[in-house]
Amino acid sequence: MNLRTLNARHIWLISLHWSRHAVRSGAGLVYLLIALVFGLSVAHMVIMPVEQLMTVQERQTGKRDLEAVKSTIINVGRPVTRFVLGLKSMEDLARESAVEERAGPANAPTADPAGNGGRLDPWTSFLLEDRPALLSIIFLVLVFGMPFAISFLAFNQVTGDIQSHGLRYLLLRTERGNIYFGRFLGTAAFSTAVMAVIVATITLYLGLRVRMYPAAALAVWATHGFLALALLMLPYIAVCSMVSASVDSPFLSLVVAKLIIGGVLLFAIMGGLKWEAAKLVKYALPWGWQNHLLHPDPSHWLAAGLACLLYTAVFLMLGYTRFETRDL
Amino acid sequence: MNEGKRPGGLTALAIINFILAGLSSLSLFGMVALFGLIDTMPTEKMDEAQRAQMEAVQNMGMPTLVLIVVLTLLSGVLLLLSGIGYLKQKKVLGRLVGNIYALSAIVGSLVSGLLFKPELGGGFHFGTIIGLIYPILTLALINTTFKDDLTN
Repeated sequence: MNLRTLNARHIWLISLHWSRHAVRSGAGLVYLLIALVFGLSVAHMVIMPVEQLMTVQERQTGKRDLEAVKSTIINVGRPVTRFVLGLKSMEDLARESAVEERAGPANAPTADPAGNGGRLDPWTSFLLEDRPALLSIIFLVLVFGMPFAISFLAFNQVTGDIQSHGLRYLLLRTERGNIYFGRFLGTAAFSTAVMAVIVATITLYLGLRVRMYPAAALAVWATHGFLALALLMLPYIAVCSMVSASVDSPFLSLVVAKLIIGGVLLFAIMGGLKWEAAKLVKYALPWGWQNHLLHPDPSHWLAAGLACLLYTAVFLMLGYTRFETRDL
Repeated sequence: MNEGKRPGGLTALAIINFILAGLSSLSLFGMVALFGLIDTMPTEKMDEAQRAQMEAVQNMGMPTLVLIVVLTLLSGVLLLLSGIGYLKQKKVLGRLVGNIYALSAIVGSLVSGLLFKPELGGGFHFGTIIGLIYPILTLALINTTFKDDLTN
């Protein structure tokens, strides 16, 4: 492994070419459609009930009561958010729900948007009360779901050229490391651009059409969410880079990448039911702490961001070591 | 000018066109069947929103149904023809018909948003944006990325 062969200008040229021509490949186009449809469908499913509630309000009272709508969002979103963040288990939530039903609606605990009496735990409160709740819920779902989609974009960074033996013609002009890191950066740039389109579309719709939150609050939280998503994709793209550099078949590369990304999480969940230590497997990928990118405490999301970069570096170096020494 | 091997993205675009054309024809049958059976459907167990939807469909009228059927049929045919054009990398059947599909889908989406009641999916909402993804993507791709590939 010789890092002295790396040339910044070559890496830049290769990454620019790769990101501009990503859609020319079937994989790039498929990823673009999957990401856009998934991201915007999630937003549609979250926003539509709120719009219907507002329509019913306007029909019944002649005006919108935003505080009542926000309170409903918090009440409905509270148990789901706590479960997603890992603050409560399904059993705890079911128990709380049964207690509320026995107590009756008059005595049920309600969220207080003014933040006086019944404040939630700090993290849930931050996401649902201090920040635009709809955007927070959408980001939580995207943080969970987008890693499954990224392998459709990143699985074929070098595998196709290895299989077709076309890489040897590129190696006349540049070094292996430049190709490897250049294509990783190009893939990351394309993924970031797609995230920007998704987040911008959702934010503009919430700001211009739904008009529940101040524009500044939406813009700030949207920027945070976009950066969190863009950073979160890097380790998963690096995993795909590593797999792509190690196998000869693009289809096999896709399958292995999917198995690693989904398998780690599945093993941690299923194994954790029988053996507590199995839950630690999820830390082999960012699954264990990626929600901390949306934490109220800056030290949490800074640490999560740094961890993303560390994971990326480790997987990239493993892949680079393999790519540098393998027969092409 | 690129007259060589067809790019993977263009093949993917064609396949997606065929899939959407098939779904379009299925939805056409579904719509015609729904309109034929709408008067016999029991509404006692439906909630207010579902009942409002049923009433909107019942009061839709023949001209609106004909418009929906024509738009769906047109969309399906254009998707099929342009998909064939993409595979053969044809300038007219691929690029021109593809542009016609994209523009007609965008216009159709905007028109149906204005004409139809909210219970029938009218008005502007997030679903409208999702419905516009593929036509806008098609318009952008066949006029930029794949412009030099559709030249036969």
